[in-house]
Amino acid sequence: MSTPVLDIENLEVSMGVQRILRGVSLSVGQGEIVAVVGANGVGKTSLMRALSGVYPVQGGRIRFLGEDITNMPSHRIVDRGLLQAPEGRQIFSSMTVRENLVLGGGPLGLSELDRLLPLFPILSERMQQSAGSLSGGEQQMLCVARALMRRPKLLLLDEPSLGLAPKMIRTIFSLVREIRETGVSILIVEQNARAALNLADRAAVMEGGRIVLAGPARELLVDPRVAETYLGGHVDTH
Amino acid sequence: MDYYLQQLVIGLSLGMVYALVAIGFTLIFGVLNVVNFAHGEIYTIGAFAGLLLFTSFAPPLAAVILIVLAVGALAGVGLERLAFRPFRRFTDEASLKSRAMREATLMSSLALSIVAREAIELIFGSQFQAVPFKLLLNNPIKLGPVTIVDGDLVILGTSALMLFALQYVLKHTRVGLSIRAVSNNALGARYVGIDTNRTIAWTFAVGSAMGAVAGILVGLYYGAIFPAMGFSPGIKAFVAMVMGGLSSIPGAVVCAMIIGVSEALSTIFVASVWQDLVAYAFLIVTLIFFPRGIFGGVRERV
Repeated sequence: MSTPVLDIENLEVSMGVQRILRGVSLSVGQGEIVAVVGANGVGKTSLMRALSGVYPVQGGRIRFLGEDITNMPSHRIVDRGLLQAPEGRQIFSSMTVRENLVLGGGPLGLSELDRLLPLFPILSERMQQSAGSLSGGEQQMLCVARALMRRPKLLLLDEPSLGLAPKMIRTIFSLVREIRETGVSILIVEQNARAALNLADRAAVMEGGRIVLAGPARELLVDPRVAETYLGGHVDTH
Repeated sequence: MDYYLQQLVIGLSLGMVYALVAIGFTLIFGVLNVVNFAHGEIYTIGAFAGLLLFTSFAPPLAAVILIVLAVGALAGVGLERLAFRPFRRFTDEASLKSRAMREATLMSSLALSIVAREAIELIFGSQFQAVPFKLLLNNPIKLGPVTIVDGDLVILGTSALMLFALQYVLKHTRVGLSIRAVSNNALGARYVGIDTNRTIAWTFAVGSAMGAVAGILVGLYYGAIFPAMGFSPGIKAFVAMVMGGLSSIPGAVVCAMIIGVSEALSTIFVASVWQDLVAYAFLIVTLIFFPRGIFGGVRERV
């Protein structure tokens, strides 16, 4: 197998005395969708922030396309093609949709726009509107589109379904599949375990800052331990 | 009536100068939530730099303004390096705008402003600098019944040009969009790959460039260039920023104009030595009745 796009080895993240990630190892291969599922507060978002250089890493190593990016400043990680649609979307609410996309493109400007707009028909109608005036689902679309403007090699998606209506969740997940078709590898973090496992090729289950279970998503979907804790009747875990 | 019109024109150019200074405050407040106490000294540095240029090379006014822009930008970047960056260990929104950061940089910028002022005084002396008469922008121009000086026109024209240029930079250049992005959502800015430290340095560069130009314009207008000259316009611009809602550029510009015109018109009713009180009165009224700025709760940043 060729070198994975993302290779995480024994990652340790602490906030003060609290150890948030306790040795997380995970990899994402070329063109793969990998899902990390787990309840609230097990360290999923911390993992994502560490990958984007927003949280400092105390131990272990992150390799992106073979290069060590552990504790690299976030803008240099973005330059290398690792983009994130973060939790809470973090769009620029007082700026227009268009300005958000220009900022997303960075040095590429709006060069990806024509290729992306067919994927995001809603946004093309809202280009001059302020991003804060969009609905939650539209803001999520903008957040993902903004990351794609930079032509990422790996896209991190942190809870893209959070707070959205079921119909919008389906739209977002089918969008993720389409994005993969364009050759982007994807690492997605979700509480909505069933939807994430249906989408992913491989998956990992996190508990207490560790990965407790990992394997092909299909197998996890029928694994009794996963079914009991995360799929038990509803999609939501709390 | 003519007197009123004349004072109105003077007030407008005065207001424009305050606006130029206020923009520096506003931009920096937008990205760091902190008042840069050394901003008045940037204005002074602009005036001294311009005067030095004139007396040593005698270049045309437009060239002086361009060079002062650059000097101001450099001074701003230096100020950021010395008084702001050393305190910045993290660049997420919470740490950037944290109270500890605010208090630390408040003191460090104040300290640097004292050092800068004393240094200028040491080199040039505390008295008014001799501004060669031919440089003064006070040649009268008769416009119908109203007599103004060419300085009014130079200040109005230059300031308006700079305000338009600023709008262009903020709306259409990567640097400007990055400044607005960090101001709007510092964490989000990291996810799109904006180098926060560099953007903050740019913010100081842009804001200080405008403040420095205001300094040389006023210096030539009044012929008063001295080490403590930045204090009074600094206060007025600060009031304009507070009135405008702290991080709104249009708000600050409009309020700066209001202050300038009110000051000029106040001389109709009171002796001009009381003129400076106008801004303080506005500040008190704003703080009591409009704590979020006179344009209400609208928080359109930068």
